[in-house]
Amino acid sequence: MTLMQTITEKARNLAVRSPWIYRINAGSCNGCDVECATTALIPRYDVERLGCQYCGSPRHADIVLITGPLTARIKDDVLRVFAEIPDPKVTVAVGVCPISGGIFRESYAVHAQVDQYLPVDVNVPGCPPRPQAIIEGVAQAIAIWRERI
Amino acid sequence: MLDTTTIPLAVLLFPGGLFALAFGLALKGLDRRVAARLQGRVGPPLAQPFFDLVKLARKRTMVPDIAAEPVFLGTPLIGAVSMLLAAALVPIPGVYAPNPLLGDLLVLLYLLAVPAVVLMIAGSASGSPFGAIGFSREMALMLAYEGPLVLVVAAVALRVGSFSLSDIVAYQQTHGAFLFDPVMWPALLAFLAFYPANLGIVPFDIPEAETEVLEGPLLEYSGPALGLFKMMSALKAVVVLGLGVALFLPLAPDGPAGLAVHLAKLVVLMLVGVTLLRVSMGRMRIDQAFAFFLKWPLALSVLSLAIVALA
Repeated sequence: MTLMQTITEKARNLAVRSPWIYRINAGSCNGCDVECATTALIPRYDVERLGCQYCGSPRHADIVLITGPLTARIKDDVLRVFAEIPDPKVTVAVGVCPISGGIFRESYAVHAQVDQYLPVDVNVPGCPPRPQAIIEGVAQAIAIWRERI
Repeated sequence: MLDTTTIPLAVLLFPGGLFALAFGLALKGLDRRVAARLQGRVGPPLAQPFFDLVKLARKRTMVPDIAAEPVFLGTPLIGAVSMLLAAALVPIPGVYAPNPLLGDLLVLLYLLAVPAVVLMIAGSASGSPFGAIGFSREMALMLAYEGPLVLVVAAVALRVGSFSLSDIVAYQQTHGAFLFDPVMWPALLAFLAFYPANLGIVPFDIPEAETEVLEGPLLEYSGPALGLFKMMSALKAVVVLGLGVALFLPLAPDGPAGLAVHLAKLVVLMLVGVTLLRVSMGRMRIDQAFAFFLKWPLALSVLSLAIVALA
């Protein structure tokens, strides 16, 4: 292994410890958002110990948590925000809605599944998923992200 | 005492440059760790800001379509370089005295204004409405805290009779630190109110309020450009806290022990004035912050200038 490769590998090992999280609400009922925001990412479960940080801007994001069944009303905005996130990025679908549409799947107003439009890497099913499951999803996303950065 | 350190070495290696950057990042990491502990969390590792920088260096920088590209990409560079220079201007008592050729307290004052100006320009160049809001708030806050700072510095300089930081440090080493001098207490209080605002932490992080204006001027930045802003803010912590130590408590033994004492003082200033403050307070509105700075710190600094002039 050349010196350059060694340095790149070292830098990757350091970089992978700083995944910043951004949430996109694609028409969610807010149940999963409450789980993400107030349960999975606050004192009791604290993902900051994995180096995660919530960011307010899509431009700062590395891992995207998508909740909701992608309603017709919000679809274009979601795709636009997703395009604003710089590469390399990893997408996590949180809750059953972005995976299959959940209880809204018959509705004329939703475009589920989300992976028809966006490259979803990790699915975290549940209605809403438990905080531990979301953390597990984030941890898997970090492992995938490691291969990309 | 190393009086004649060559200037490039001072700017790039020690006490500016690499050393200041590493220490600034460590201070930020300590701040995040202790804040997490105070909130009952485990918190990130101490080297977290360093990991963040490496990560940002490996991401893409995206430039918005409506941004003024040269300005948008140039401002982070100017900000980081200005703080690199400023870090070489701050003396470390007993270890390092800045070369007079590099500049004195007045130059440092101007350099300290650069990060705020750079953030304003970056915010408006990004073309984002949140950046514009950040611009206006940053300007209002800067107008509010810059006045007290200048008056505090003027009071200290008047007392010592020199604008050279080396003279200020030497004066206090022979006559006793200003921290224990009641005449200087109003100036000290005004400085204590100034530095959280300058570092942009919670009661005064109005221009970059994440939950209101999505980090304002930083909203559109990504990748290495954002990393430069993070470097700027880490270096600024070292510069501003170092300035506080030089102005009010520059008593330290010579040699490595002096360096250790200096760093310990910065850590205490960071933990008390930044970490404790930001976990225990909510954010002010811009009008509240403006009124606060024009009321107490300004009055205190005018008072201290008057006392010093009369004493």
